[in-house]
Amino acid sequence: MDKQIRTGVYICHCGENIAGTVDVEKVAEYARGLGSVVVARPYMFMCSDPGQGFIKNDIKELGLNRVVVASCSPRMHELTFRNACLEAGLNPYLYEQVNIREHCSWVHRDRDAATEKANSLVRAGVNRVSYHEPLEIREVPVNPDTLIIGGGIAGISAALKIADSENKVYLVEREPSIGGHMIQLDVTFPTLDCSECIETPRMTRVGSHPYIELMTNSEVEDVSGYIGNFKVKIRKKARFVTDKCTACGDCVKGCPVEMPSEFEVGLAKRKAIYMPFPQAVPNKYIIDRKEIPPCKLTCPIHMDIQGYLVLLSAGKFQEAYQLIRRTNPLPAVCGRVCYHPCEDACNRGHVDEPMAIGSLKRFISDQVDIGGLEVPQITRTGRRVAVIGSGPGGLSAAYGLSLLGYEVTIFEALPEAGGMLRVGIPDYRLPKEILRKDIEYIQRLGVDIKTGIRIGEQVTLEDLRHQYQAVFIATGAHESLRLEIPGEETPGVIPAVHFLQAVNMGKETKMGKQVAVVGGGNSAIDAARAARRLGSSVTIIYRRSRAEMLATEAEVQAAEEEGVKFIFLATPTRILAKDGKVSRIECIRTRLGELDASGRPRPVPIEGSEFTSDVDTVIPALGQVPNLEFTRGLGLEVSSRGTLVIDETALATNIEGVFAGGDVVTGPATVIEAIAAGKRAVKCIDSYLKGETLAIKEEKVPERLSEQEIVDLKKRFPAQGRVEMPKLAPTKRIKDFREVELGYTVAQAQEEAGRCLACGGCAECRECEKLCQPVAIDYEMQDEVVEVEVGTIIIATGYDAFDPSIIHQYGYSKYDNVITALEFERLSSASGPTGGEILLKDGRKPESVAIIHCVGSRDQNYHEYCSRVCCMYALKDAHLIREKTGARVYEMYIDMRCFGEGYEEFYKRLSEEGISFIRGKVARVTDQGITEEEKGKLIVVCEDTLLGSIIRVPVDMVILCIALEPRSDAERVARLFNINRRGDGFFQERHLKLDPIATPTGGVFIVGCCEGPKDITDTVGQALGGAGEALALIGKGRVTLEAVIAKCDETLCIGCGWCKEVCEYHAPTISKNGRVTPVCVINEALCMGCGACAVPCPTGAISVKHFTKDEILSMVNAFVEV
Amino acid sequence: MDGFEPLIIAFACNWCSYAAADVAGTSRFYYPANVRIIRVMCSGMVDSMYVLKALESGADGVLVAGCRIGDCHYISGNIKEEKIIGRLRTFLHRIGLEDERLRLQWISTGEGRLFAKTIEEMVSQLKKLGPSPLKERIGWNSRTFTVSSGSSL
Repeated sequence: MDKQIRTGVYICHCGENIAGTVDVEKVAEYARGLGSVVVARPYMFMCSDPGQGFIKNDIKELGLNRVVVASCSPRMHELTFRNACLEAGLNPYLYEQVNIREHCSWVHRDRDAATEKANSLVRAGVNRVSYHEPLEIREVPVNPDTLIIGGGIAGISAALKIADSENKVYLVEREPSIGGHMIQLDVTFPTLDCSECIETPRMTRVGSHPYIELMTNSEVEDVSGYIGNFKVKIRKKARFVTDKCTACGDCVKGCPVEMPSEFEVGLAKRKAIYMPFPQAVPNKYIIDRKEIPPCKLTCPIHMDIQGYLVLLSAGKFQEAYQLIRRTNPLPAVCGRVCYHPCEDACNRGHVDEPMAIGSLKRFISDQVDIGGLEVPQITRTGRRVAVIGSGPGGLSAAYGLSLLGYEVTIFEALPEAGGMLRVGIPDYRLPKEILRKDIEYIQRLGVDIKTGIRIGEQVTLEDLRHQYQAVFIATGAHESLRLEIPGEETPGVIPAVHFLQAVNMGKETKMGKQVAVVGGGNSAIDAARAARRLGSSVTIIYRRSRAEMLATEAEVQAAEEEGVKFIFLATPTRILAKDGKVSRIECIRTRLGELDASGRPRPVPIEGSEFTSDVDTVIPALGQVPNLEFTRGLGLEVSSRGTLVIDETALATNIEGVFAGGDVVTGPATVIEAIAAGKRAVKCIDSYLKGETLAIKEEKVPERLSEQEIVDLKKRFPAQGRVEMPKLAPTKRIKDFREVELGYTVAQAQEEAGRCLACGGCAECRECEKLCQPVAIDYEMQDEVVEVEVGTIIIATGYDAFDPSIIHQYGYSKYDNVITALEFERLSSASGPTGGEILLKDGRKPESVAIIHCVGSRDQNYHEYCSRVCCMYALKDAHLIREKTGARVYEMYIDMRCFGEGYEEFYKRLSEEGISFIRGKVARVTDQGITEEEKGKLIVVCEDTLLGSIIRVPVDMVILCIALEPRSDAERVARLFNINRRGDGFFQERHLKLDPIATPTGGVFIVGCCEGPKDITDTVGQALGGAGEALALIGKGRVTLEAVIAKCDETLCIGCGWCKEVCEYHAPTISKNGRVTPVCVINEALCMGCGACAVPCPTGAISVKHFTKDEILSMVNAFVEV
Repeated sequence: MDGFEPLIIAFACNWCSYAAADVAGTSRFYYPANVRIIRVMCSGMVDSMYVLKALESGADGVLVAGCRIGDCHYISGNIKEEKIIGRLRTFLHRIGLEDERLRLQWISTGEGRLFAKTIEEMVSQLKKLGPSPLKERIGWNSRTFTVSSGSSL
């Protein structure tokens, strides 16, 4: 400060607002006594022209170089007085405003105390202003494009106004169509214009306007930048219907999934592929696909489970089968033997029991004559692939490769094809006929299955490598694990795999009558149940308890029903022979110890607890390992567990062109996992042979439902339980190997399929795809994220309708005929679910209707504010009811708010139409009638304040005038655009009276109901105001940047970078900037002046202009002066 | 101490708490005249040094007021300030200053009532505690002025 400070102080009376409490003359007197003060003037209204005149004059005449005005809040008039200084040639930042109104005269009663405080505040202001430095006022250009969020009548109006001025607008709408709530209304008050009729022409103009880029089904994800220069990321969510859609509606006919229609407020249903309403803009369909359902995600081959279930429900069995075949090469097999991990993931399990998906899949395949199915046309490539093993893995690989055009030959060692499906699983679970049919279909695709050929004997692996372009090894695991106890070699000990193979091939088993099966997996159960059917008495010995058995629960139960005995917590120690054959088995009891590698408790033998039992057959069923004899000498890498080692992604072994999958790689697993491996092999081998890189798709895990979601599910779906699968009686079963499960009837299957919760929304049954002639459906469509640059942002996100279920006493969602005003709009609309007829839920016309005002509004318990439009629409509704039904109408009101043009006249007109107005709050709505007149009606119990008593009004229908409340995601929107919300939840305007469209954040404006409830007239007015704001910025073309920003004194800066760490706006960068060591350089366009950087700065190099240490401490000093 | 009127220096952020103080004014929520407000752009701008200087120079209590967590106009300024005040509090304990002398209060724009209530509470607490112990140590003359702390709460 090289010049002497000459300060002018101005004390505003503000009429009586300040002078009424603060003695302004005394304050002026006090100010005159302060060091740098040259003049101190009290005046009536400093913000007025003469008031400002004093300032300008004194600057010129008295050579003031600092100005202080003690008046209202700087948030009110700081700009006014800064401009006054500017006009007089003084830098506007050499000005300080002292708040002696909002912070003093308006909040204190004691005159002396208030005046003393005012003195103190003025002193602080005078101290501070002497430290103010002149600041540069910089301007940046404004991007002429505008972003409008929300396509209701507000967004539409603003968009059209700006676009008509030939400036570009991006209009982003979350729903699939623009129109907002207005398009749901029947007629609008007070003119009773048809709402759709007045809005749709504007919607059409928006859709075709050359200056409007419309993005529906889209949401803003990120916003950065500042006024005039915003960068916005927008996610355009996939519709799964392309622009080729002609809106013909053929697709809808095929869709079997019904969901509640949002447009009809849940009063009607729509399909999963739908257009929200006929006049939608854009006039295109959209598929409502939610998250991939957990069943599909969990299934190792990701079948379209919801899809075929919903086709089953609709009676489309052939289509359901075809849908299964799209992903599953062995549908009938899986329907019978798959262990269905999908059922464990099924969300229906939270309500009662999971869907019986396996049984339903079996039902569908049983409806189809697979022998009569058409085989698709295949173009052969001439390339050849060899598959070793005709189990589920090999069959699936062959199926897929053949469809792609490869010539496939399967080499099977056993006399019949099927692998474990044929020789491991008994007929009572998987009948031979069923398996044969599925295999025959694969053969009809051109796959050649050579049985009775064991690789390593008639032909070697090396031979195959030369004769075929690729080889897939899917030989499974058919060797049994040994018991490793004395006596294992005794005749009568038959490994489970051999036993089952003999049973399934119809050969002699050499089994006795007293059988002990050792093990706890599915093979043990299969062996035990097969043995029962051959007439033996069977005991399963398992070394852990029942809970740890790996066999499926259903299998264990079936075994129990069939008379299989169980000994748990015991393990064999030796097998005793007599006459060279098995006679007794000695076991030792075990107890459960600590968890082992498999996550199950280790069985620990209990010393001295040996016992023996009489047996003549012992069937060890401890698990299998692969037989890798045929790979010897080739150098195929083998793991320590005896399985083939492969590259997980490419399924490739260490030998070129040789792939492997299924049990031979994983060890014994399940059928569906083998099928999954076979299908992966198809992709891997195909990519390999084409020389392409393999596309890797990420495997997703289904999200777990939250507690709340489970509660909601239970509410929506009443518990009923699974339809039981009919089974043969246990006594009948063990007589032969007939299939135990008999399968559902059509009625049972459809009832069970009806329990599906439709977690995925669209079931992906693809029926719509079949019907779409323009080929506009694209299931693979992805979301698209775009980035746009705009200068102005207008937020027009509208309101949510209050849900009155929370007001229990009004009976909404309890009584059928208590509806909300929005639901009434749909009833009354000619395009609505009742064709414009006002009807009760049972189809009758109401004879009396009560309309309850202020539901959720003007209520301390919910929203204190008035929703502004309800009184008028209540009158409108009354008029419509009288006109359409002649019913008696009662309006229970508190006040009648008819403030607008034509509103009071409308009210007067309607009060002559015979509507009863009852002034009073409604206590409750009940169906408990007392008198004869009240029977069968809804009784509205309310106070009639004019009568001074409580009355009971029996009516047929009750309409609730629900509040307009802020959108449920208003919080997220506020954070995204850096705006605030008021106490009532709506967005905060810059000034309630004088700046109701701007927000404190420059360049971001709020219009329509997102700013507060209002009718269409006011909404459009505000929207046009928003357009005006945008056009004002665009017109000027440049905007003044914030001058109050951070600055770095490079002589003090040590380049530590702490400032950069804490800045949310990426304003500081550390660079050499021509110096020896790096220093902080602040980007003046990005800096918002918050001062976060100044606090951690170790040397005090960074400070915020206009808020320096000196300025702030000078105020502290003033305050502590006595 | 009879007639003792504590001095509170408040740092209030421009976007929320200062606006809340304005709303207290427009709504006429009366509170005692013991407070002097310094406007800052963000509560995160309040360096520990300002608080210490205020207390050292003769304030009996300091209020740092900002936006509610999640609502900071500069996104995380208030979160940073919360940490700074936390550390500062530890230091103040060591020099024997009572907790009530430094208050961190989040007040959103619409909460004029809360602002007035905060001042009321602080004044009442500080009256009970008496003048700041720092004042004695630096030989500061206690101030007395007549105030009737009328309140509409």
